[in-house]
Amino acid sequence: MLKLETIDAGYGATTILHDVSLDVNAGEVVTIVGANGAGKTTTLRTIAGLIRPTSGRILFEGRDITRLSAHETVDLGITLIPEGRQLFPEMTVHENLLMGAYRSAAREKQADTLEEVLTLFPRVRERLDQNAASLSGGEQQMVAIARGMMARPKLLMFDEPSLGLAPIIVAQVFAVIDTIVKTGATVLIVEQNVFHTLKAADRGYVLENGEIVLTDSGKALLANDHVRQAYLGI
Amino acid sequence: MDTILQLLANGLMLGGLFAIVAVGLTLIFGIVKVVNFAHGEFLMVGMYLTFLVTRMLGLHPFVAVIVVVPALFLIGALTQRLIIQPLMSARDDHIQIFATVGLSTALINLALLVFGADIANTPASGLRTPIEIGPVRVLSGQIAIFVASIALVIGLQLFLQNTAMGRAIRAVAQNRSAAQLMGINVDRIYILTFGIGAACVGVAAVLIAPLYPTSPTIGTYFVLTAFVVVVLGGLGSIPGAFVGSLVIGLIDSFAGFYIGSDMREVAVFGVFLLILILRPAGLFGKQLNLSHVSP
Amino acid sequence: MTDISLAPPAPARLAGLTWRNVFALAGFLAALFVIPVVIDDDFIYHIFVTLFIFAALSTAWNIVGGFAGQLSLGHAIFYGIGAYVGIILMNMGISPWLGMFAGAAVAVVVAVAISYPCFRLRGPFFALATIAFLEVFRVLALHFRELTGGATGLMIPLKFGWEWMVFRERLPPLIIAFGMLLVCLAVAWWIRSHRIGFQLVATRERESAAKAAGVDTVKVRLIAVSVSAALTAMVGTFHAMYLTFIEPAAMFSLPFSIQIAMFALIGGIGTVFGPLLGAVLLVPISEVARGWLGAHALGLHGFVYGAVLILVVLFMPNGLMGLLSRLNKSSETSRQRQAQTITAAQAPSERPSLGDAIVKVESLEKHFGGLHVTNNVGFTLREGEILGLIGPNGAGKTTVFNMISGFLAPDSGSVSVRGADGTWHKPTTPADFAAIGVGRTFQIVQPFAAMTVEENIMVGAFHRFSDVHEAREVARETAHRMGLGPWLDAEARGLTIGGLKRLEMARVMAMKPRVLLLDEVMAGINQTDVRRAIDLTLSIRDSGVSIIAIEHVMQAVMSLSDRVIVLSSGQIIAQGKPQEVVRDPTVIEAYLGKEFVHAQA
Repeated sequence: MLKLETIDAGYGATTILHDVSLDVNAGEVVTIVGANGAGKTTTLRTIAGLIRPTSGRILFEGRDITRLSAHETVDLGITLIPEGRQLFPEMTVHENLLMGAYRSAAREKQADTLEEVLTLFPRVRERLDQNAASLSGGEQQMVAIARGMMARPKLLMFDEPSLGLAPIIVAQVFAVIDTIVKTGATVLIVEQNVFHTLKAADRGYVLENGEIVLTDSGKALLANDHVRQAYLGI
Repeated sequence: MDTILQLLANGLMLGGLFAIVAVGLTLIFGIVKVVNFAHGEFLMVGMYLTFLVTRMLGLHPFVAVIVVVPALFLIGALTQRLIIQPLMSARDDHIQIFATVGLSTALINLALLVFGADIANTPASGLRTPIEIGPVRVLSGQIAIFVASIALVIGLQLFLQNTAMGRAIRAVAQNRSAAQLMGINVDRIYILTFGIGAACVGVAAVLIAPLYPTSPTIGTYFVLTAFVVVVLGGLGSIPGAFVGSLVIGLIDSFAGFYIGSDMREVAVFGVFLLILILRPAGLFGKQLNLSHVSP
Repeated sequence: MTDISLAPPAPARLAGLTWRNVFALAGFLAALFVIPVVIDDDFIYHIFVTLFIFAALSTAWNIVGGFAGQLSLGHAIFYGIGAYVGIILMNMGISPWLGMFAGAAVAVVVAVAISYPCFRLRGPFFALATIAFLEVFRVLALHFRELTGGATGLMIPLKFGWEWMVFRERLPPLIIAFGMLLVCLAVAWWIRSHRIGFQLVATRERESAAKAAGVDTVKVRLIAVSVSAALTAMVGTFHAMYLTFIEPAAMFSLPFSIQIAMFALIGGIGTVFGPLLGAVLLVPISEVARGWLGAHALGLHGFVYGAVLILVVLFMPNGLMGLLSRLNKSSETSRQRQAQTITAAQAPSERPSLGDAIVKVESLEKHFGGLHVTNNVGFTLREGEILGLIGPNGAGKTTVFNMISGFLAPDSGSVSVRGADGTWHKPTTPADFAAIGVGRTFQIVQPFAAMTVEENIMVGAFHRFSDVHEAREVARETAHRMGLGPWLDAEARGLTIGGLKRLEMARVMAMKPRVLLLDEVMAGINQTDVRRAIDLTLSIRDSGVSIIAIEHVMQAVMSLSDRVIVLSSGQIIAQGKPQEVVRDPTVIEAYLGKEFVHAQA
């Protein structure tokens, strides 16, 4: 479904990703693990079209999307749920969700999608009329995921969904992600909580200093000595 | 007592005037995050256009709105597209400031070149007729401005709150990169917003032209007060700008009477400087949490 | 000891200028002065006097607007003050030569009074505030008629001669204007090439990093504003004598203020000679246009100014000087320094045992809105110790750092640091912390982007040395120690992430801190660099520095730390030896996930 071919990308003169190639097949859950600053977020932002690669190609469902902007990739069905929630703080939860279905294709089905999403997130339904800024961190993360689903994406990308959340909340967030995964969604996830994601993922990539150094099934990576030493600290 | 009522009325009328000039300015600031130093000159261009349309076609000045508002929308949109947008990512503040300061200088002098330094009087068309309401006298044109400013503020609020486009505009202001992720074309929203902000000042121009003589520097005269109002009302807040306008209008009116007409500006700018220094978020703006040390 | 090979001496330079450039500049200035004398025409004389005055004003403005980055659009305030004070005193029989200094003194007082509260305003708001002050001054000048003559203005008394700065001849005003230009240029050049200049530019580029490097940012800005205001006022006095008549609208004028700033921008904002260049280019054009086209072209020169300004910001934001330096660079043989042999880490020496406490942190509390980001955090750092601070992202580590370096005031609790003299202090501001020997790096690197690597490190070195040469020596030495030797002349913005992290360290090390706070210096750098950074950190510790390090790279945490503190959701959940801490179930659960615990069991 998604294919990155030898991507170089970065900010300004600084190149962060070197020669990154990876692919995600339909219905698969793929994770990218790596230390802070390894380029995980940059990879997701490049796929989403927020950063333009300096070389290489990105294909989505066989189509070259390398030069597309963020608003164009959303139309194709790629949605990124960004690091740190990134809600619209002065808008109500309801308005935030509506923003998720901004593009015309999603807007037509807005009402139906909203109902589906709210069924998945009963807590969000209770908060519909509250300002996003007044929610707790865990609730905000739920809204961010719900907002992402409003676009009816084909590929859902998560960037550090557990960032800054208390452990008990993290468990809830993962439960939600697991539910989404069970519906057969295609997911690409970046998460500092390596252990959980590797267990849940079909496949994983290890990113170090902007380069893919290792790829294998989630289970195999979990058993890999290098991964255990570098990311699990054992 | 009558004097005070009259001063109150004058202040409110003046407040309406400031509000109608400031609405577009605060909209542009709130969304695009650019302080448009050429805003006053947009007003000036609008007033000259009104003058030309009424003079050449002999129409009522208010009819000029059909020409002036689209023209100003275009000027605003082009300003954003051609001048501000290439500079959006500029590292230094001074780049954007100089860009609009340069535009302001160019427009003032262009007007000087085309129309000369003499003032241009748009026909009053009955708008300078005094109307007596109880003990106070105000001009019909002033009432028109006051009413229009309320309508404009409410209209803009409804547009921003209740339409998909308005929501997109607010989304861009609140979190630009998240807005991009929602599929919003941020560049287009900026162009649109700048256009709308300029169109608002076009409305102001049509209403003000019959009351005030038009000159190349008339924009500076109004816009400095508009800046005061915008800061007072909380940057980017449209209702705040309206309330701020009334406050400044009243200060202007009362200071002019009690301190001396030549010292009105000192009072107004004094308030401005105090607010800017002591409460930069404005009287009605939220105090932002700036405690995270960021680069 | 570390084996340091120093860079070859730079070519003969006069604080950043090569002799060739000095001669070119002298020739250029001499030509500017000679041209009107040779042509010997009234109008040409007038153009050049005006040119010199604008160039001088713009050069003075640039000290605040360019070096310090405080975009004043109200500089006519000082110009007007100089003019009014000069003429008022002259009417009282005091020579403008003295009046000029009186004007400068008044301008300095005004400048300090209005700038101090305005410094916390950024970018456009500072500019707006200066415009507002300018309006206030214009209105006041109109109001106090007895003093200023109000709208009618003031004429100078007709007293001629050098004593009164008023002449029938053409040459003396030219000489004075030229002299003033030279003074302004010399002052600007002096500032730019001495400690204060570096500190000003550093403050402009990254205020927080400058503070962390011990720069008293408010003080240096106030000095810059004062110098600039004084020079502007003195030029104002002379210009009033030259014009023989002044009025509020012309003296306290916004377009005039904008023009002053504009010349600097077009010539090259923040450079010493840019404003001169801008004025040389634009003043003659506009004066000639005014002279020849007269009333027909009213507004033409202003229109051209505005248009040129827009084009310059769009297409050459660094101005003419930027253009020149690009030409210069391509012709000059790039004088690359040879890569230096970077030192191997020395053989592990006998490590001194840990000393007494040097930093005491007691029950820090901090809320952001409803969020409890720091909850009763307390710990002690001992002399010569490396204390690792770990925890999941968002646990509040950087917030703790901000509180123990003065960037954030805790809601309650305290931070005490033992000074070199053994007494305990409770610093509160970044400057206090720097003064007592606490240095820090920033997680998000904060280079002074427009400065070279060497200059970046010099800013840190200026914390201890006021002399440029000494600071430069220390900076070079530090750069080589950090493996930055080959890039001394490179602009900081061109470095890689790894390079920027090392630059961040180098800047702090140049301050010779006793306590070093490292915020994720190893994040995002490659394996070799991590190894090097670990060795470097150990060698820093062995030189007697106590270190607290926030770190995610576990390899580094394990091999560096004597002790580790684990922070989660704003609370310390464990502390102790690194090996023990990573086995602690609470830590594993918070940091690595609950499932991990089950898997381990």
